[in-house]
Amino acid sequence: MILDLHLHSELSDDSRAPVEAYLKVLQRKRAERPLDGIVLTEHRQFDPARDYRALEDRYGFLILNAAEVETDYGHVLVYGVNRDILARFDFTDVRLPAQELVTEVARLGGIALPCHPGRPTVGLCDHYERRPPLDGVVAVEALNGGSRKGEDARVAELIRRFGYGAYGGSDSHLVSFVGVCATEFDAPIRAMDDLVRELVGGRYRPVDFRARRSS
Amino acid sequence: MPLDLDPAIIGQEFDRTVEGPVTAEELVAFARALGESRPEYTEPGPGLVAHPTYCVRFRGGRFYPESLVKLIDVRRGFDAGKDIRLGEPIRPGDTIEVRSTLHEVYEKTGRTGSMYFVVIRFTLVNQRGDVVAVVDNRFMHR
Repeated sequence: MILDLHLHSELSDDSRAPVEAYLKVLQRKRAERPLDGIVLTEHRQFDPARDYRALEDRYGFLILNAAEVETDYGHVLVYGVNRDILARFDFTDVRLPAQELVTEVARLGGIALPCHPGRPTVGLCDHYERRPPLDGVVAVEALNGGSRKGEDARVAELIRRFGYGAYGGSDSHLVSFVGVCATEFDAPIRAMDDLVRELVGGRYRPVDFRARRSS
Repeated sequence: MPLDLDPAIIGQEFDRTVEGPVTAEELVAFARALGESRPEYTEPGPGLVAHPTYCVRFRGGRFYPESLVKLIDVRRGFDAGKDIRLGEPIRPGDTIEVRSTLHEVYEKTGRTGSMYFVVIRFTLVNQRGDVVAVVDNRFMHR
């Protein structure tokens, strides 16, 4: 099962991509990017009331909701967001304490995974040059569709050094980029609980469809 | 550094300015400058209306509220885009009241560091009281 674990819709301030448009692209480009679903990771927010079941039924893709938050160690994706996590952390705070986030989100039933760690300023690699490594990091985003030259290579070194698991996501803010990087899971995923369980369990790998891109 | 902003100023109207009346010549010139050729935007007459993007010409009397100017260096920044919701069409002879509110201020971090985004909302209302457009102007500041 292949999911794009990192993308933004028009609900994020820097994206104008409607969710339905992502699904249309994935439907049209199935041979190029054989995804089964997407996980929306809107910036600094999570709305538990968001419901994409009608789109899931219409297009046959799994659609899950997560969040991308900002911390003192860079940006982090939070999966399995629930009422307890929302009560514990203010997602609009751009200086969330990363160590607390990783530890507490795990305790409260979710998982917090650093994204684009090779990116300057907002990636883990930069912060690890100046500060001690975080405890409890399960995996990092080894492939990010928005990475610039050299950023994914920095992440490869980070993974080698700390033994982190690796996942992938497009970080798409534009409709055409959906699914260019993604994560392949060994087990089927039907809901967020399945996704959190599999991310914790480590039975997945990043997949890169960028070379297949036709347009 | 977190911005020491009084949340009470969010949503407050800080300017109200009337502009116009809009002339047919202005509407036609604007549409033609865009390369528009559809007659409803380019041919003077009873059917003439403003091209939908004409609403971005309105500026109001003051762009930022005074309280924000004290907190942010407004000389360092750039236009980060506009969201426009269209209402009734603008027609020749209309006067447009621009009601300016501070809609949103938020911080985010990116490759180049921390940034503040300010969203100024213009609600454009014609002389009949109809909303012709709501324009959210987004600006980025360091």
